Parts: sequence; structure tokens; C-alpha cells
Amino acid sequence: MMTTAADSKHSTGMGKDLIVYVCLLALAGIQFFIAYQNISTSQMFVRMLSVAVIEAGLALLFFMHLSENRGLKWFVLIFTVAVVFGMQYGWSDSFRLLDGVPWAH
Amino acid sequence: MSQADLSIHAQVSRTGATETMTAPTFSVPAKKMAMWLFIIADSATFAGCLVAYGFIRNATPDWPRPFHSITNVAIMTLILLTSSLTMLIGVRSAEQGDKAKAFRFTMITVALGILFAVLHIREWMGMIGEGATLFHNPWGTPLFSSLFFSITGLHLLHVTGGVIALIAVALKYQGGRYNADDLEITGLYWHFVDLVWMFVVPLVYLLNLAH
Amino acid sequence: MHDMSTHAVPHGAPTSFIRKHVFSIDHKVIGKQYYALALLAALIGMVLSWIMRLHLGYGSLAIPGLHLLSKNGAPGDVMTPEYYLQLMTMHGTIMVFFVLTTAPFAAFGNFFLPIQTGAEDMPFPHFNMMSFWVTFTAFLVLVASFFTGTGPTLGGWTQYAPLSAIGDVGGPGEGLGVVLWAASIAIFCIGQLLGSLNFITTTLDMRCKGMSLMRLPLTAWAWFITSIMGLTAFAVLMPACLLLILDHVAGTSFFRPSNAVINDQVLPGSGGSTLLWQHLFWFFGHPEVYIAIVPGLGIVSHVLITNMRRPMLSHRVLIYSMGALALLSYMVYGHHMFVSGMNPVSSLAFSFPTLVITIPSTIVVLIWLGSLYGSRLRINSASLFALGFISMFISGGVSGFFLAQPSIDIMLHATYFVVGHFHLVMGVAAMFGIFAGTYFWFPKMTGRMMNETLGKVHFWMSFVGAYCIFMPFHYLGIAGNVRRYQAFTDDYLIPLIPVHKFITIAALFTGFAQLIFVYNLIHSRFWGKVAPNDNPWEGTSLEWSTATPPPHNNFGDKMPVVYHDPYQYSVEGASTDYVMQTSTEQLKNTDEEK
Repeated sequence: MMTTAADSKHSTGMGKDLIVYVCLLALAGIQFFIAYQNISTSQMFVRMLSVAVIEAGLALLFFMHLSENRGLKWFVLIFTVAVVFGMQYGWSDSFRLLDGVPWAH
Repeated sequence: MSQADLSIHAQVSRTGATETMTAPTFSVPAKKMAMWLFIIADSATFAGCLVAYGFIRNATPDWPRPFHSITNVAIMTLILLTSSLTMLIGVRSAEQGDKAKAFRFTMITVALGILFAVLHIREWMGMIGEGATLFHNPWGTPLFSSLFFSITGLHLLHVTGGVIALIAVALKYQGGRYNADDLEITGLYWHFVDLVWMFVVPLVYLLNLAH
Repeated sequence: MHDMSTHAVPHGAPTSFIRKHVFSIDHKVIGKQYYALALLAALIGMVLSWIMRLHLGYGSLAIPGLHLLSKNGAPGDVMTPEYYLQLMTMHGTIMVFFVLTTAPFAAFGNFFLPIQTGAEDMPFPHFNMMSFWVTFTAFLVLVASFFTGTGPTLGGWTQYAPLSAIGDVGGPGEGLGVVLWAASIAIFCIGQLLGSLNFITTTLDMRCKGMSLMRLPLTAWAWFITSIMGLTAFAVLMPACLLLILDHVAGTSFFRPSNAVINDQVLPGSGGSTLLWQHLFWFFGHPEVYIAIVPGLGIVSHVLITNMRRPMLSHRVLIYSMGALALLSYMVYGHHMFVSGMNPVSSLAFSFPTLVITIPSTIVVLIWLGSLYGSRLRINSASLFALGFISMFISGGVSGFFLAQPSIDIMLHATYFVVGHFHLVMGVAAMFGIFAGTYFWFPKMTGRMMNETLGKVHFWMSFVGAYCIFMPFHYLGIAGNVRRYQAFTDDYLIPLIPVHKFITIAALFTGFAQLIFVYNLIHSRFWGKVAPNDNPWEGTSLEWSTATPPPHNNFGDKMPVVYHDPYQYSVEGASTDYVMQTSTEQLKNTDEEK
């Protein structure tokens, strides 16, 4: 039987899991808090999305153990970020029927 | 070493390296890699749906904001986040060889998943009771309920699939056919379902909260 | 240790006919199944193009028997304008999805990727079997639309909303036809997902001893990069198709605008976005172009290197260029939408990366040309088609420079110029890649050689024919000939009809050449000359070091061990002109990859 680093990789960090869990709960709480603030929808969107990205990052790095595998981390990140960023081109078109002209604001 | 050892029946280590194969890239064996790839593909699917939602929301004047209470969605979020934690405990127990604990915590995860689905369906039934369908709702543009049901429905489908997968893997794990790695791989999927919910909650629920 | 499951599950050779040839989990059989599907689809697509060309070139020409295909679409054997569009849509869909995606990627990739990485099979053979049968189901669903309701959809292979989302009001086939189309494509996406999972994990995790990533042949890299694109591109197309189906069956209006007036009817709808469909579709659609062409880049490089007897100028730069194409392919999709009413600022944002993406393409071409310069190329059917690929890729690519600029594209977008452009660079080039691969790998796949004379005749007829068809398209486009018209009755179009007649004749001529290929393929499969040995082209990569055809687990009892780069040709001091990857010969004076 071969023994590798993988056998011991999760031996530490039950406490870390709990900390991450509490952080996630707190961040989720912040989102609910933002929802009740008296700000514009776009402001709210930006703030909520930032919090969601931090949450997702925590979940990826610690719950899904990406932080322990440098190669896989970059593979997944570059891949996903490239694809998700590619989808962001459409936004300016979404306002056009309302505003009539691009960048009306 | 005999010829047979070199052939297809070579032993495989935890990292997937065998005597006849190069060690896997990133030390991630094929099964786990496949799950990561599926997660990447699935995140593209969800991102596409959420972009479609945002696109249509931007293009629609007087977008309805029908949600009055956040209690239900807050409880659902708590449940799903907690289920991720219990999944982690289950996987760690499996890695330390504590089979009974691993099985127990996986089953707690399953129970939380089912609870989430029940709460979600209850919420749906409430909305349907108020007159919301895929093509009509009492609050404003029909597109709101089209998108709401499509996106949360897709997520609910993932939760349901995850629950079924967890039950199947946990049973096989207990029966000795699957090992800790398989449990961990299924756990990856479960965390991903949780991760998607982190985006669905603010975008689909909280941005549509009545003020 | 109970850990076998983390790796490929070894499976014994099947014995029953069904498990061996129908529901096989052997990647080689699946590859051949994909090839057969692509061949069938290509023949259907080609016949459709003949019918369309006859109609375009010769006005309302009656095509005997056409009414058998559709009573309403072709009463008295003369097709209606709507039926022309329906055939055009099916030609595009079948060719793009079931030929250009299926043949170079799924067919050859399935057969050769595991062999080139030195694996016994893909890691998930059952997924692999499912991926073929799912794809086949998708094909049946698509073809079924010929025979149901009012026929197949007429919206073009891009299915632009609102026409695709409004139901039968839009014309024949816009109801059930679109639903079947979208269902077929959604099913196809599942097949691609399963295939891509296998391709990527094979490349990353199933390499034999000594096979580092950089020692993989260029074909393996091309399939790997293609599967990365396929993984995410199809994942976005699938929800788009599902939303489109919901618009039809569930009364939603994701893609149906309010109060659209179509065919004198005000349609119900509640403010859906027509542009959203285009964004979702082209987000898939542009990577799809590279999914069709990148395997061709790999195959052509592989074939050329073997026949030049020397490696490319730079193995690494070719790989990086293909990777850059893949990455950039996600950022340029809007150049398909310059005339869609898209925000002009986005046009600028799409135009720039579109011009940037020509850089890696140009690098690939320059490496090919630089490597070919001064080489003593062995001329055979495979290398001729590889050269033909380069020619088509350049000719079609150069017109891309023009189309990348919104100001020029707005003039040319709705004309035959674009039709000529994408048929050359994506259609014909990718087909030439498929042909090069077929002539090259046929001995390994079947144990027999293809007829070289017929192969050369096939090449010259196809090469000349393809240029005769698609070069005039560019002139037509510049003259303002609008595409998607089924007849040319306007004053400014009537003088162009002789050109269309010429194109029609060229199309029939080129199509005839493909029948020679099909004859050659089938005849050689059963009665061709038996391959002289396991390595008729004196190649170096792993597929040439195993038996012909390869045994069930690819390498028999002994797994290969790799000691060399994939393309060690004409190495100084070596005992032969080529050094196989598995050769244990020590090489001096080389800087091999680790």
C-alpha cells in the first residue's frame, strides 16, 4: 500500500471548518442586512455580489479544499473566471430598450 | 515483478498513481477531476441562467418586488450551510476510518437536504397559491415568476439529485463498495450546490425584497 | 487496498455482438460509431445543399421526388420559399453539430486520444458509451422534425428570436419544429458534456509512464483544448435551449418581446428579450467554431510532421497558440452580432479581441509554413488534404480580418460574403482536416490502406471544387447579394444568377468527389490492400507502436513506457530516420521535454 501526502491532508482543521462555517453564516447575515439598506438597486447588487463572491471563495478554498492543491486551484479559477467573465458582455444591451441610447446615465 | 503486475490490474494509490501510469496532473485522480469538471460546467450553466435573469430584469421597467419576509429564505440558507458543515464532518470521519460516524453525518446531511427541499416546495406552494405560475403572477411582469421558478427549480433539481446521490453513495460506502474518496467527491458536489445558493439568495430573493 | 475505483475500471473484451459493436464501452468502437454517424450526417447535409443549390441556380427547378420528402414543402417537386429555409436550417444544424463537432473531435478523439496518451481506455467507459448514444438520439430527434407537423424549423441554425419563440405564426416548422430542434440540441449538449469529461480526464490522468503533458502529440493537445471549450460552451447552450422550449410549451416569454407584430398578427408576449437569445447562443456559438477547427489544427500538424519527417518549428508555441485561441474564443462572440442592434460600444469591445484572436491563428499558420519551407514533404492523400486545410484556413481567415471590423461587417454581414467566409474557414477547412485524418489513420483503424489514386483524385476535385463554390460567394457578397434569399428577382440580383449557376455546378461536381471518397472508404474497409505493417507512415507517436487494429486494451499485455518527445524525426545520430516515443534508444544532442 502506498502512503501519500493525501492520506494526511485533512487531518488538521476541524476547527478551521467551524471558523469558515461561522464566517459564511456572518457573510450571509451581511447580505440580509444589505437587503434592508436604503440604497439604489445597482448599489445593492454590487455589494451583495461582492459578499457572494467572498462567500463562494471561502467555500471553494476551504470546504472544497482548493487551497490545498495549488495546481488544481489555478486550473479551476482560470477556467471558471474566463468563462464567467466572457458572459458579462451583454449587460449594456439589457438597458437599451429602456434608455434608448447606450450609456444614457 | 510479474507481467501481470504491469498489466491492467496494477494497484492504484490514493493519488491515482500506478506502476504503469504517470501520476495524475495536480495529483487529482480521474473521478475527482471529473467532478471538478462537472462543477465548472454546471457553474457555467448557472451563470448563464443568472445572466439571463439579470438581463431581463434590467430590461424590464417596474420589476416586481413581491417578497415581504426573509425568514423562510434565511432558514433555508442556514440549513444548507449547516448541511455543508455536516458533510465535511462526515468526510473527515471517513478519512479517519470512523465509518459509523461518517455514515451518520452523511445521513444528517441528507436529512438537512430534504428539509431544505421541503421548505423550498412549501414556499413554492405558497406562491402558487397566490396565483403565480410560470407564465403569470399577481405582482407584475410574468417574467418574474418565469425566471424565479426556472432558476430556483434548477437549483432544487440539483438539491434533489444531490440527496439521491448522497443516499446511494452513503449506502454503498457502508456496504464497503465505496470508500472515503467517493464520499469526498459527492461532498464536493454538495458544497457546490451550497455555493450556487449563495448567489441565488441575493440575486433572486433579496434584490426582490419589498421595501 | 480497496482503491481500484479511483482509476479506470479495467474491463475484459466483450464477446456478444451487441456489447462488441452496438453498446460497446470500448473507446475505439465508440470512435468508429461517431465516425459513421458523422458520415451519415455529412451525406444528408450534402444532399440538402445540392437541393438548395439547384433551387438557387435554376429558379423553380423541379427536383424529381422532392415531394416525397415533404408534400406541403414541395408541391409538384418545386420547393416553396419556406421549405428552402427549412432545408437551409437543417443543413446548417446537421453540418455544424453532427459533422464538424462530431467527426474531428468525438470520432478521431475517441479512437486515438487514449492510445496517444498510453491508456487502456478512457476513465469512464460507460459515460463514453452514453455520450455516443445520447448524441445519436439527438440526431434522430432532429431528423424526426422532417416528418412531423409542418416540417423542420426554418429559423436558421442560429434560431434567432423572436422568430424561434413565437410558435406556428412564424411559419412552417416554427412550432413543433423548433421544439424538436431545441430538444435535439439540448440532448446533444449532454452527450458533449459526457464526452468532454472523459477527454479531459484521459489527458490529465491517464498517461502512461514517461508521458509528460508536453510529450503528448499535438492531436492530443488539440482534443484536450477542444474538450475544455466544449465543456463550458455546451453547458451554456443547454439552458438557453431549455428556456426556448419553455417559451413554446409553458407559455413563458423569455425571448418573446411585447406586442411583436409578425405576419400581421399582434402576438402575446411580456417583454422578453430577443437579444438575450443571441447573447446566450453566441456565447456558445463562437467557442463552437473553435471546437470545429482546433482538432483540425492538431490533425494537420500531426499529419504534416509525419510526412515532412521533421518536427514543427516549435511544439510549445503551437500548443500555446491553440490554448490562446480557446481562451479568446469566449471573448469575441459578439462579432456575430454587429448588426443585431447591439450596443455600439460592445461592438468595439468585441472587435478588438476579434482582431487579437487572429494573432494566434496567424502564428499557427506561420509555424506550418515555416516548417514546410525546405522540407521534403511526402505527397500522399493525407498530406495533400493537410496542405489543403492550410490553404482553406488562410483563404477563409483573411476575410475574417475584414469582418472583424464593425463598419465593414455591417455592409457584408447579411450577404454571401459571410457565407463564403465561414464555409471556407470552418466548413471546408474542418472537412479537409477530417479527410486528412481519415486517410492518415485508416490503416490503424481498420488494418487496410485506402486507395491512394482515388484519394488524390478526391483531393484535387474537392480542392478545386471548394474554391469554385466559395470564392464566388465573396464576390456575390461584395456585389450585395443578400443571403437566405430563396430566389433572386430584384433587378440588381438578376445579373448575378449566372454566378449562382456556376456555383451550383461546382457544388454538384464537388459533391460527386465526396461520393468517390465514400466509395473508397467502404471499398478499402473490406477489400483494400492490407496494411504492410503496424506503422505504414513511419510515425513516432504511440498509436503506431501498437498492433493494427489495436487490441481491446490498446497495448496488449505490456503497457507502453515513453522515453522521447512525440516528434523525433531525422534526429542526428539516431539509427533510423524516426525515433518512436517508446524507443529506448539514447539520443544525443537533443533538448527533449521532461
